[in-house]
Amino acid sequence: MEIYLPIAEMSVHWLIILAMGGAVGFLSGMFGVGGGFLLTPLLIFYGIPSEVAVATTASHITASSMAGAIAQWKRRSVDLAMAGILLAGGLVGTAFGVWLFKLLREAGQSEFVVSAGYVILLGTVGGLMLNESLAALRASRSGNPLPSRPAQHHNWIHGLPFKMRFRQSRLYISVFPPLVLGFAVGMLSAIMGVGGGFILVPAMIYLLRMPTSVVMGTSLVQILCVTAATTVLQATSNYTVDIMLAGLLILGGVVGAQFGVRIGARMRGEQIRLLLAMLVLGVSLRLLIGLVLTPEDIFSVAVEGQ
Amino acid sequence: MKRAVLLALMVALLPTMAGADDLVSGLSQDQIQITSNYTGSDLVVFGAIEQSTDTSDAGKRDVVVVVRGPAATMEIRRKNRIAGIWINNREITLSGMPAYYYVASTRALAKIAQPDMLDRYQIGLDHVKPESASTHSSSKAEQFRQAVVRERVRAHLFAEASNGVEFLGYSLFRVHVPVPAGAPRGQYTAEVYLFKNGVVTSAQSTPLFVDQIGLERNLFNFAHNEPFAYGLATVLMAVLLGYLSSLIFRQPG
Repeated sequence: MEIYLPIAEMSVHWLIILAMGGAVGFLSGMFGVGGGFLLTPLLIFYGIPSEVAVATTASHITASSMAGAIAQWKRRSVDLAMAGILLAGGLVGTAFGVWLFKLLREAGQSEFVVSAGYVILLGTVGGLMLNESLAALRASRSGNPLPSRPAQHHNWIHGLPFKMRFRQSRLYISVFPPLVLGFAVGMLSAIMGVGGGFILVPAMIYLLRMPTSVVMGTSLVQILCVTAATTVLQATSNYTVDIMLAGLLILGGVVGAQFGVRIGARMRGEQIRLLLAMLVLGVSLRLLIGLVLTPEDIFSVAVEGQ
Repeated sequence: MKRAVLLALMVALLPTMAGADDLVSGLSQDQIQITSNYTGSDLVVFGAIEQSTDTSDAGKRDVVVVVRGPAATMEIRRKNRIAGIWINNREITLSGMPAYYYVASTRALAKIAQPDMLDRYQIGLDHVKPESASTHSSSKAEQFRQAVVRERVRAHLFAEASNGVEFLGYSLFRVHVPVPAGAPRGQYTAEVYLFKNGVVTSAQSTPLFVDQIGLERNLFNFAHNEPFAYGLATVLMAVLLGYLSSLIFRQPG
């Protein structure tokens, strides 16, 4: 049965949307990622306008991070002070990102910025992951474990002022790095429709040096709140959140994720990371081709206030 | 809008022309409602040509039916290749283009009348023009106008059927006008023209309304009238569905 998406203003088959949500949910469950970076391009490939894809995916991530955030909360592995600081930066970043997105949209450049942003981001992250997972696979095959990173007790981050104690992370650092990190991830969420976990998690571990035990929970709380704020802000300033599309994607996503988690648990870490890296690079390549290839029609038409 | 009024006036004044065949026409429905499971429907425009008592004018008669949607303002952007990448860098606004346009005729429009006649009544995809363009270059405006026509044709919102007028006998005719799911809401007009020897001798215009109703329309209104509440509702739905899934699929251990 065809259904009409009121905001995207197009007819879609509900099963296709449900299946898309399910597939992305499956992969995000398997790889332990939010999946926004897969869902937004997938929706754009299907023909959903990029601004609707970006804004609606934010609400999908709100749902998919909810379950994880509850579980982590129960395990008390959330550093509330850190989450608060990240969130303060995150909300400002989101507001700034939504404002910027509105400007880009009015200038007719939102589609290009979303695509180009994805190519750069996914290309970089995918390349790094591919490199790392191949090195890990090679090391495990030859029997030599990888040398662990040398413990660095002090980096430039520890020299910044306005230090604050984060009890649960056992850290005494300046508030600026988490503020800036939160801001960057919030802006990314607004412009590209991603949760930003793939940047937040490595940054918390390597840059802020938070203990791994609280990283997952704290980042999930941050992603949950930031994507919820993004959804509301996109709805109020760009009118681009499609609740019908969101509902179908979420229904597919939460079911798909459960199967993904079960399959993912049976696979080895390096294999999962290698697969994910190839997937990420594939999406990035597909978007790059879209930017370089001569379009079917070099003109595009937007009808005002329909 | 000025152009539309002028056009309506021209159409209204025509039937008073003496000595012409008389034209009567009607619509199968004067309101089309697009609902959630709407996949498109057909509007039927039908009519008859009443023969004039004067049989001396034996020229070829042609019937042309035009259905126009509400006028819209369109922003058209053109991509150019910059450093190998296609990027939007030209923008023109055309206002007063119909958002929907369908024309059916008894034979190819070019054979029915001269281009200036078709231009005057805006009959045919090559002759439907915007009221104004945000450029002074007419060749550039034409280039962008053609882009609109291409885009609308792809979306099945513009079409030209050169033998879409079906005659049932000598004077009775019928046209099936497809109205797809994406048809914009608003007031449409169905115009029927009778051409003789390349000149419009009779015309009639009937309004009809296309509206979206049901859940989709309510959601659209909700999103635009109460955007904050709508955003909150979406978040609430997401949070609830996420929470429910964690209850239903509780991980063992």
